[in-house]
Amino acid sequence: MSIRVCARDNKTFRRLLEYYSDREKAARLFRKNGGKVVGELGCDVPDELIIAAGMFPYRIYAGECSHLIEADRYLEYSFDPVVRMQFEKLTDGTLNNEIDYLAISNSTDTLIRIYLYLKEIKRSEPEKPVPDLEFIDWLFTRRLIHQTRNEFTVRLFWEKLEEWSGRKITYKDFAEAASICNEDRVAIREIMKLRRAYKPRVTGSEALVIIGSAFYMDRREHAALTRQLYEDAKKWPEINGPRIFLTGSAQENTELYELIENEGAVIVGEDHDWGERFVNRDCNLGYSPVRAVVDQYMMREFSSKKAFVSQRVEALDREVEACGAEAVMFYMNAFEEAASWDMPSQRKSLAARGIKTRAFTKMSYPVSKNSALEPGLKTFIESLKG
Amino acid sequence: MNNDNKNNAEPVRAQKSLKATAVAGAYQKEWFAGLKARVEKGEDFGYLNADVPMEILRAMDIPFVVNQWWAAICAAKRMAPKYYGLLNEQGYRDDLCSYCATAFAESLDPDDKVSGPWGGLPDPTIAITRLTCDCQSKIFELFAKNHGSELYVMENTQPRRVPPNWWELAPDRWEELYDPDRLDFAVEELKALISFLEAKTGKMFDINKLIEVMNLINEQESWYKKTRDLIAETQPAPVTVVDTINAVMQAQWQRGTRWAADHAKSLYEEIKAFVDQKRSSVPNERLRLMWLGRGLWHDFAFYQNFEEKYGAVFMWSMYLAMGADAYIRNNVEADPLRALAARYIGMEDFLHMPPWNANWFLHEAKHNRIDGVVYMVPENCMQALEGSYFVKKTLEDAGIPVLIFKADPVDARKWNRETMTGLVEDFIETRIIMGGKK
Ligand code: SF4
Repeated sequence: MSIRVCARDNKTFRRLLEYYSDREKAARLFRKNGGKVVGELGCDVPDELIIAAGMFPYRIYAGECSHLIEADRYLEYSFDPVVRMQFEKLTDGTLNNEIDYLAISNSTDTLIRIYLYLKEIKRSEPEKPVPDLEFIDWLFTRRLIHQTRNEFTVRLFWEKLEEWSGRKITYKDFAEAASICNEDRVAIREIMKLRRAYKPRVTGSEALVIIGSAFYMDRREHAALTRQLYEDAKKWPEINGPRIFLTGSAQENTELYELIENEGAVIVGEDHDWGERFVNRDCNLGYSPVRAVVDQYMMREFSSKKAFVSQRVEALDREVEACGAEAVMFYMNAFEEAASWDMPSQRKSLAARGIKTRAFTKMSYPVSKNSALEPGLKTFIESLKG
Repeated sequence: MNNDNKNNAEPVRAQKSLKATAVAGAYQKEWFAGLKARVEKGEDFGYLNADVPMEILRAMDIPFVVNQWWAAICAAKRMAPKYYGLLNEQGYRDDLCSYCATAFAESLDPDDKVSGPWGGLPDPTIAITRLTCDCQSKIFELFAKNHGSELYVMENTQPRRVPPNWWELAPDRWEELYDPDRLDFAVEELKALISFLEAKTGKMFDINKLIEVMNLINEQESWYKKTRDLIAETQPAPVTVVDTINAVMQAQWQRGTRWAADHAKSLYEEIKAFVDQKRSSVPNERLRLMWLGRGLWHDFAFYQNFEEKYGAVFMWSMYLAMGADAYIRNNVEADPLRALAARYIGMEDFLHMPPWNANWFLHEAKHNRIDGVVYMVPENCMQALEGSYFVKKTLEDAGIPVLIFKADPVDARKWNRETMTGLVEDFIETRIIMGGKK
């Protein structure tokens, strides 16, 4: 099932797929035209502000890295494999040709370490090709003092962007950028309805392409293409098969989704940051700019890393219900462990609702390295069909 | 090192030589019994992670136990296999966060009040942790739920500026150590914690009491400073980490009390008497070793394995040295909450953030005339990602060889003393002795 012929034959989808596959294409063009590109590490870097500063946000991804020389030198064994590859590209010079600056958000503990290590490399080994960096020290505890602190943090990032771009970010700049991003999120949410429908017309793999291409292209164009695609996809064939919700490690490509969907299931939702969590909350333009950014990133659906077990149990129940999933698949990369503490309680709660679950933990990266995965998936999906 | 634990059925007990260590051991049992009695009478009882500013509870006279202290007690009682088995049974991974999750695992034990260490942990009414890693809030919430405690969490912020030589600034110029907004925010967090505790316990927080507590801590830690300096400057070393880790750690969890300050003084005096009598822990001392990382709670005898054969003495650990350098905050009276903030927000950074940790370790290694460093990186803890590359490089660039290995401070299941002894022996022979360091 995965990415179907109807999608591949569609001109609009093909365009999104082009950006999703050739992730440097738009950023390179932007730089060629004199623009500055800000790499984002972590899913809580406010795109709106980068766009408002006239710069191009580019999400750092692991991709396929044939060597891990720098990562093996600087990082302890228990950094997860995705972060290791991202780090490699940030320190071996690969990304130096693609980005001008790097913004890291406090989205996981690992990224805090990466920030500290990169900062130390810059200080003690200045010859290393590490870009200028800024850390966005979000606090995700939901109390007023944390909200106020986050406003301070956003103001710091705002000032840094002004320094990097060499221009003031006006209210008009911000409002325009936030509106574009909101528009894009609305368009994505709209097409995701076709994925969550009683009879889905968009697969999980297709959904990942639609969402993920936003990280690598002009947002206005992305919104327009997504709106167009919505009209086309309404006519795509309906999909049958067990409806699965995916939770756990972020999937920055479609490999896992395709494996699952090729077995005849359909992924109707996920809670990771390369999927629908990205469009979970809009920037409220009724608030002042700083407050709007804080509201958006602090108050959206709980991430698996920065939430209590009880919050994660409720969030998963909520999301599973919203997309009508009949089963949940937990998929966790090795050394990306925090969500393991949520899992037993989540499974218990899901079981009480009649939702079946299957867990794949300590997984290697990339997905293809896990030889036992395919048979495991097959058995699970077959059991759902029965 | 993934070693099967075949030979640990009968643990070898470490030989301790200080009265202060035995006194601390006896006191903690007596104190714990007293704590239990208070809890049984219905008093609120706090369970805190080590990085929580416990001074607030001390000032409010709320009894509390520290998570890492309790984990060490459980490890010393060799409860880990049972507890991690319980985790497994309940669908949890048994190979994660052993240090912080021991007490949660224990809370799954239906027999805890019968067969748990020292009659088991009484049910805390309050559980407090800081969000210094992604797992902490989750584990504490699970723990709190099992005990019926109310959970409270405190945040953690990251430094933007990192002035060098934190240990020089910490006692008197602590304001300069941090971005001012981080301190402002930490004070706000302390005030919020106080409001929570006042509402929960009905006790008033008295700022004068905090000043008293802070001054007692300054007194206690000043004795550690004298002790650390004395050991550093005495060769052969009068005592080893086998004595100092326990003596200091047990008293650190009692910090802010008269007993702890007096105990620190007695520790100094006892060691000073050793020095005056020219008594040393290992008379044939030839090599001075530094232990980096958490204490190896389940096998303290390991530290003594290299004394006879090589005259190699583990004479430095962070426990005493952190007491000496990280805790003292003078000029408390003007703003005790700010002084406390300047203590608790830095603790993690001093130990886990390069270059602060690396530079301090080097400074200490030189001060203590260290010949080699054995650096234990915990098996399954994210917070222990502390830039070991930078630590190793900093020390080795200065000519001090470093052995890094993975092991678990509280879970003995994968520990093989024989293999690990071989590893350290090889390090001593090839890197220190043949490497020309001695
Ligand atoms: S990652 Fe480390 S500090 Fe955090 S809960 Fe686990 S063992 Fe504790």
